[in-house]
Amino acid sequence: MAAPLTLLLIVAVTIRAVLFRSSLAELISERVEVVSPLNAWKRVVEGLALLDLGVSPYSGDVFHETPLMIYLFHFTVDYAEIVFMVSPYFVDCLSCFLASLDRFRKQKYALESDRYPADCLELLRSPKEMFYIPLKVAMFYLLNPFTILSCVAKSTCGLNNAIIALFIFCTLKGSALLSGILLALATYQSIYPLTLFAPALLFFLQRLYIPVNLRRSSFWCFTLQYAFIYVGSLVVITGLSFFLLGSWDFIPSVYGFIFSVPDLTPNIGLFWYFFAEMFEHFRLFFICVFQINVFFYTIPLSIKLKEHPVFLIFMQIAIISIFKSYPTVGDVALYMAFLPAWSHLYRFLRNIFLVSCVLLACSALFPVLWHLWIYAGSANSNFYYAITLLFNFGQILLVSDYFYAYLRREHHLTHGLYLKKKDGTEATLVLK
Amino acid sequence: MDYYNLMRIFAFIHLLVSIPHGYSNYVETKAGQFFSSGHTNNWAVLVCTSRFWFNYRHVANTLSVYRSVKRLGIPDSHIVLMLADDMACNYRNPKPATVFSHKNMELNVYGDDVEVDYRGYEVTVENFLRVLTGRLPPSTPRSKRLLSDDRSNILIYLTGHGGNGFLKFQDSEEISNMELADAFEQMWQKRRYNELLFIIDTCQGASMYERFYSPNLMALASSQVGEDSLSHQPDLAIGVHLMDKYTFYLLEFLEEVHPASQANMNDLFKVCPQSQCVSTPGHRTDLFQRDPGSVLITDFFGSVRKVEITKDTINLTSPVEPPIQRSGSGDIQIESLTYVDQLPVAEIIHQKPKQKDWHPPDGFILGLWTLILLVFFQTYGIKHLKHIF
Repeated sequence: MAAPLTLLLIVAVTIRAVLFRSSLAELISERVEVVSPLNAWKRVVEGLALLDLGVSPYSGDVFHETPLMIYLFHFTVDYAEIVFMVSPYFVDCLSCFLASLDRFRKQKYALESDRYPADCLELLRSPKEMFYIPLKVAMFYLLNPFTILSCVAKSTCGLNNAIIALFIFCTLKGSALLSGILLALATYQSIYPLTLFAPALLFFLQRLYIPVNLRRSSFWCFTLQYAFIYVGSLVVITGLSFFLLGSWDFIPSVYGFIFSVPDLTPNIGLFWYFFAEMFEHFRLFFICVFQINVFFYTIPLSIKLKEHPVFLIFMQIAIISIFKSYPTVGDVALYMAFLPAWSHLYRFLRNIFLVSCVLLACSALFPVLWHLWIYAGSANSNFYYAITLLFNFGQILLVSDYFYAYLRREHHLTHGLYLKKKDGTEATLVLK
Repeated sequence: MDYYNLMRIFAFIHLLVSIPHGYSNYVETKAGQFFSSGHTNNWAVLVCTSRFWFNYRHVANTLSVYRSVKRLGIPDSHIVLMLADDMACNYRNPKPATVFSHKNMELNVYGDDVEVDYRGYEVTVENFLRVLTGRLPPSTPRSKRLLSDDRSNILIYLTGHGGNGFLKFQDSEEISNMELADAFEQMWQKRRYNELLFIIDTCQGASMYERFYSPNLMALASSQVGEDSLSHQPDLAIGVHLMDKYTFYLLEFLEEVHPASQANMNDLFKVCPQSQCVSTPGHRTDLFQRDPGSVLITDFFGSVRKVEITKDTINLTSPVEPPIQRSGSGDIQIESLTYVDQLPVAEIIHQKPKQKDWHPPDGFILGLWTLILLVFFQTYGIKHLKHIF
């Protein structure tokens, strides 16, 4: 286990180092699919240069990083490549821990295995399969072309992913304090991880055997504790940011920028095209609609998946990276890294071929249509937006397919794998 | 007796000696007068801003002033004449190729040698302002340019339909009094005039000069704010009004002026009193350096070349007397102006001190690391402390 992991690390580092030194680095760091105005490295350097000149880095709509990032990069701007190479490995920690998580789950099932129908045993995973899951997760993340591109472009998306991965790690490990602090840090970086509060809370409640019942005081007690840790650390971090630069400039520059989407540079998200054509007096309304779309799925999904918070985390991360205002391929890579953890759902996935074809084709077509639109002039923005739409459609299909597979597996676990109708013929399951 | 004779001889010798001295004094006085007005060339910008046949009188106004100005000596090369419509060759003109300024067709101001520089649709606010400020494309011919310098006296005459603070151009756009004031300021900054006389004959014309703020401007208007300028007389043969009242009496006044006349601005201010004009003409002289009584009409309307022929050498050693200052007129002080350094060499040669890099405040670092340590110990327990301390 250690040896393959080490080999994987060496391969990943080699690939990134080779790409850093080649001429592709500059090319990649300009691609709009890989960098967005929120996490471009060029803007970080620009902001630090402005700071050295004595001007607030947030003046002039160039720099949209948080002050703690300023602090981090102030000392490591010359070693940026190393920073960006190290950060994906945080995701590895997560993968190592997924193994123990599954052991936990397996134990739960083993205890109740007598409750399960006999033919469900093949649905349960054996330790032998689960042994390789951390390696697969690490492989999926480190060798994912999206991650490599994002890392070579030195986009701070990698750091955001690292923070979210650390948050998941601490949650699974059970440390509420660290989890709250890291969630506050992730929310501070970009607001959308706010939706991960609910799954983290559900996980802790499950772990502490507190039933999710709105009338029980133990539920509220723990919820308030966790919320207090979260909100308190968020306030502390925001206060620290204020003391770094001495002004509240960063709030409109970072959070106002994320919410009000003033920059309509094309990216792989859904906002830019829509708002480029929006009439001014409808703009506020549609901004609200689009932003609510990210947060809206939390409550229904939490209700449905309250027994399975880890899958809920996966779904939330996927939803964030599809519907956020400035997505990049680095965000996509984060939830794709989780997919090996659900490899046991493979037999229930219905659209996996379609989804993989769509995602591969769109990834290949993004640069082609960009070139045709911007440089050759024989296409226009509609072409690029079509591919964006298709890419997001593929992602949504992927996520909903996994959701379906997960629910179906749960259903089979309770009702048996080979279902029969009353007269003995094979039954078909219909998702309603 | 001898003493008396001696005194007479001394007086005679003194007279003999002082005559050349007196003569040079006379020349110096003349020299002083020579340079008293301060300008060396004259320009005129005459603009008629209205089109359509029923605005015949505005074209006639402009052409009357054009005629006077040419008669008094300003050549066509120094006149920019802008007529928004062609009345002489208008198909409704019963007397083609003529523009009359007086009933009974006494005075054809169109004449044989009218040179119109901007005609028809070329008379726009933009072109007018470009002429004034000199910002014309390089392909503009000289006849369309106002090539004045800092020793030019310029006469600007505008006529047409106007209102409180604006003048209408071609029935489709307007120039505001602020734009005009800013254009004059640009001209002043670019040293495009020595002195400028601005005459406007429109309704509520006084509003057009109330925003001026550049020095050496004198302005006259045919009516005050709230009053209309009225036209003088219709001609039943041509069918339209031929002139406006103010310009009619102005033309009458200018017909009396000849290149050597000493009529001054105070006489001009008296042209067309309310009894004749119905509206009250206004004028503004607070921005003007000299006393209007000492400003000759021909300083603006004519191009008078002062030539004194002398066979003697004259030493202009004593400084020329400055122009007669109006007492208590210290409103506008022209400070001596210099050009800004093109290349701030001093700044370049002395190296700027190296900029200090930004460092995070100490309080922030302290706070941040304290928190990190607190969280670390909270999660992993106090027992690690003894390994550190």
